[in-house]
Amino acid sequence: MEIKAIGCEPLQLKRMHIKDGHTLKVYQETGGYESLKKAMNMSQDDIINEVKASALRGRGGAGFPTGMKWSFVPRQSPKPKYVVCNADESEPGTFKDRYLLERDPHALIEGMLIAAFALGAAACYVYFRGEYRYLIDIMDKAIDEARAADIVGKNILGSDFSCEFFTHTGAGAYICGEETALLSSLEGYRGHPRMKPPFPAIEGLYACPTVVNNVETLTAVPQIIEMGGKAWQELGTEKSGGTKLWSVSGHVKKPGVYELPMGYKDLEKFIMEDCGGMLRDDKKLKAVIPGGSSVYIMNAEQIVGKGVTMDYEGLVVGGSMVGSGGFIVMDETVDVMESTKNLTEFYKHESCGWCTPCREGTDWLVKIFNRISEGGGRPEDAQLLLDICDNIEGKSFCPLGDAAAWPIQSAVKRFPEDFKKWLLNKTNGNGVVANI
Amino acid sequence: MSELIKVTINEQDFEVEKGARLIDVCREKGFNIPSFCYYSDLALQASCRMCLVRIEKMPKLQTSCTITCTDGMIVTTQSEEIEKAQRAMSEFLLANHPLDCPVCDRGGECELQEMIFDWGDVEERFTEKKNVEPEKFLSPIVANDPQRCIVCKRCTRVCDEWMGEDAIEAGNRGVNTVIGTYGGWLNCSQCGNCIEVCPTGTLLDGVYRHETRPWELDQTITTDVYGSDGMQLSIGSRGGLVHRIVARDRYVNGLNGEFLDVKARFAHEFVNHPDRIKTPLIRYKKGGKLIPATWDEAIHFVGQKLTESGKNVGVVASPRLTNEAIFTLKRFAKEVVGTDNYAVSDRYDLSVFFDNLSAPLATHKEIRKAKTLVLIGGEPEEEQTFTAKQMRQAVRNDGAKLIIVNHTPIRLSAQASQFIHINPNSYDAFVLALTDSANDDANAKKLGIETKDLADFRQTLSETEGDTVVMFGGDLSPQAQSVLANSADAFDGTNAKVLFHPLPLYNNSVGANDLMEGKKSLSEVLKNSKALLIGGSLQEADTNLLANKDFIVVQELFETETTKYADVVLPAASFAEVDGTFTNNTGFVQRVRQAIEPVNQSKADWMITTLIAREMGADFGYNFSATMVFKAIADSVSAYEGLRYPALKDESKPVQVKHAISAKKDLSKEFDVLKSNVEKLSDEANKLTATPRVGHKLHRLTTLTSKTAQFHLLAHGNPKPENLLVSPLVQFNLDGTPRTETADAAAVGVTDRINLKVEY
Repeated sequence: MEIKAIGCEPLQLKRMHIKDGHTLKVYQETGGYESLKKAMNMSQDDIINEVKASALRGRGGAGFPTGMKWSFVPRQSPKPKYVVCNADESEPGTFKDRYLLERDPHALIEGMLIAAFALGAAACYVYFRGEYRYLIDIMDKAIDEARAADIVGKNILGSDFSCEFFTHTGAGAYICGEETALLSSLEGYRGHPRMKPPFPAIEGLYACPTVVNNVETLTAVPQIIEMGGKAWQELGTEKSGGTKLWSVSGHVKKPGVYELPMGYKDLEKFIMEDCGGMLRDDKKLKAVIPGGSSVYIMNAEQIVGKGVTMDYEGLVVGGSMVGSGGFIVMDETVDVMESTKNLTEFYKHESCGWCTPCREGTDWLVKIFNRISEGGGRPEDAQLLLDICDNIEGKSFCPLGDAAAWPIQSAVKRFPEDFKKWLLNKTNGNGVVANI
Repeated sequence: MSELIKVTINEQDFEVEKGARLIDVCREKGFNIPSFCYYSDLALQASCRMCLVRIEKMPKLQTSCTITCTDGMIVTTQSEEIEKAQRAMSEFLLANHPLDCPVCDRGGECELQEMIFDWGDVEERFTEKKNVEPEKFLSPIVANDPQRCIVCKRCTRVCDEWMGEDAIEAGNRGVNTVIGTYGGWLNCSQCGNCIEVCPTGTLLDGVYRHETRPWELDQTITTDVYGSDGMQLSIGSRGGLVHRIVARDRYVNGLNGEFLDVKARFAHEFVNHPDRIKTPLIRYKKGGKLIPATWDEAIHFVGQKLTESGKNVGVVASPRLTNEAIFTLKRFAKEVVGTDNYAVSDRYDLSVFFDNLSAPLATHKEIRKAKTLVLIGGEPEEEQTFTAKQMRQAVRNDGAKLIIVNHTPIRLSAQASQFIHINPNSYDAFVLALTDSANDDANAKKLGIETKDLADFRQTLSETEGDTVVMFGGDLSPQAQSVLANSADAFDGTNAKVLFHPLPLYNNSVGANDLMEGKKSLSEVLKNSKALLIGGSLQEADTNLLANKDFIVVQELFETETTKYADVVLPAASFAEVDGTFTNNTGFVQRVRQAIEPVNQSKADWMITTLIAREMGADFGYNFSATMVFKAIADSVSAYEGLRYPALKDESKPVQVKHAISAKKDLSKEFDVLKSNVEKLSDEANKLTATPRVGHKLHRLTTLTSKTAQFHLLAHGNPKPENLLVSPLVQFNLDGTPRTETADAAAVGVTDRINLKVEY
């Protein structure tokens, strides 16, 4: 398990290898809470402008510019404002936030406090996924430490800025990583996504202006304040600023959490050199899911010799997305039909049941995959899978439907051999797989 | 009229009101858009994804139910892309939906069926196994087949938003989502609105279940016979049998849309019940038996006896009867007997309310749109269910202020912006406080509240921008009612219109009061007469006054406490067998229409009275036609002037009768009574703190409701059977022996369906 930065100084991973990095003492010794002090001497607009200048984009998966999200909050509204941290890290293949929460909880507190100060928020909530129970204890301890040091609570650092901190745990639902479902769950309702608009920035938690950010997004904020937005942006590219954590798993020699500057070149080098190459030297690279299970799967032809850069724009050109940075590498022993079936079962299990296409579509897809894997594949199944995905995509209530459709669409199109093997065998003889 | 904006739909330009909902606009303009989860006046859901449209400058297809029109919006509702999406959604909905339409009670009137016919695909591509769930009963009258559910959640929303019950919710996740209850058993007032709004056969009427197919039923639009809200409903009958009652069609709304309560919807088995009186009955000798007779014989006997009694005949009408029947009874008293000895057997007298009425009656629409609602006494959730629903929605959806003054913490008080919890019997003090703010301290003490509560109350009234509706009923003393009804000015706010809403208890209490002008009190009439003609039984408590009369004729459906004193019982027809009208608590005269031929030998009440009158030599000129009776009403009662049946034809445009608005009166006599009453009140607070369960009055067994078998289970606390997979009326133990509860149900005299014997 590697945790290291490549091609840049460790920023997010600064305290990963320092003993007791999760304590307030060590955090302050290594420069912690200096950014908060600095920010509290800045105006709210200046903070937001710095974040805008940094080109920081949401690290949860959607990649929405953080500064712009903050600027949507009506700060003059008489309602209380809230900052919510989305620590419901449940995208398959993603485990970066877990290390940040475990080893550097004060960075998150500091980032949230800066956000709260910039937005005039009265309270911060950290929403953990149900399985991260043990991390809540670490976070609660960190909050208590900070509270004892006058960093959290009333009159922070002797100023008239006050901000409360709360932690909350989900009950094990992937959908609660979607920001509006997270807010429903946080309010104590069933974790169903809500209608947008109104967006959380206008009516979020308890119908008050709310900013929901990923852990990694918020831990980047102190760095931005410390080094200035422009300098932070220049670590990466013009539109994708700073550095990004990648959770690498699968058939590589050195899986782990890697911090790379945005625009890192290139994806092939990253797998073959930085991650130590393929797990078994005699097996070739077959597929990569670069951004968590919900993005398009890439085949080897799209990677080898293509010089794909690792940032939001580069990966789109390369045929996929940054997503949450859950980087899954598969070698040629993997049957993509079966790996896609596995993923689809996940989406069926996690579909909340609110809207028709996602609820019924994922169930149908799983039934088809089950039939295929039991030897009942038919040549027309490929077209059927694509058509069902097309009927789900863009028509579901929240993005979970899209997330279920994309892996299948890309798998069927980019790995035709794996599907032909299942669909053309045995009873169905000489059929043709349509439109692959 | 608010601002108009321009919207382009399918290349045609329209001017629509700003803020209008796109799906409503499209439908209004003739572009049909399918939907399941969208239901006007319920929270938006946007989950069925059927109503997708293309809006220019928006990246994806949009659900038209969530879009409010903006100026210059360009919308496409029909295109290849949209059709594909709609076909896809119907395909998804059908994926796990069993195609068991031939055995589904909803078959033939199922929205899913209709939608698939119109928007679905001809070919089915789903060849996998469907998910299955066993069917079960959620309560004695709500059957549930979970696999048919399309998760539109209309049921959970009406349960929450209309009824405030939240008894039914979606459980599980994803494709396993099912509509369920807390604890597996539906514990609520059993209104059955979840059944009504269900677009598929997921929730079904457990009373009507598997009786017949909907297309074989004759549908007759008529008015509820239980509550004073005058809810419009549709009787489904076939071959002289009433099979079911549903609310009026969703798209041609009567005043209540799809809303009904438990009694209106389920308690209809009395119509064809075997206990109905079959022929006229005569008790030839006091203390003897009632012996069947022919109509000729009975009418002749009655005519002779009543003639003998001369002017000592009293007439009593039940507030359950039609306007026609009540009016004919009054004419009988006035014209045949020549007496003023006539009364209405209501539980409280509405005449003080109408005699002093100083503002118009509120309609249900006005209650829904009111900004302040003042409820003094009463429990609308039990007695005026539709009014209660309108109140709740006014508060929930439009932020109306609800002020409740009650001695019981009724359930609606949870929704109130101010709940003034007073001592029992202290309403007089509240009415005094309302009309005179000088003695607030003393009055507050008698009421057991803080003086500030009264000030807050007045402040809310004065700040109201919009209508104020004041509701009160029989909890108040007659003097208090007359003072309240006469003091509309006490509720004036800024720009406010003040409206009154009485809380009558019976379906035609208001009509009975309108038509029995000059009536006396019931006890007076009973005391003053030697012979009586009674249309519809009296309250049981009043029947002891019937002892030792010379002669009593009763027009009734069933043998009751009153018929025990009768010398002649004449079989009357129920509301399902007659034509007529009821007047509801908002003053709407609404039609009662004949659904089936009169059961056995029964006749309409007005016809029976007319026959007796004819026997005694008087001709009312009705010519055996209800139309003529109503014309006679319109000709002689000023509030009903000029009305005819054709004017009442359209139940979506009900006609309000013109109740006279009286000027400010000198009520010093009433005030004196109030003052002396208040003085007698104790200063000590002695409050009732328990909130009664909703349904305790609705489930009460009465002559009519007790004839529906399921009501016995409801009245006994709606017990949960051990095994929910079969009907709770026919329960068997594992060894095949019938469960004991079933035997109990048989003992209370329910139909032979209960006594079903099964041999293994």
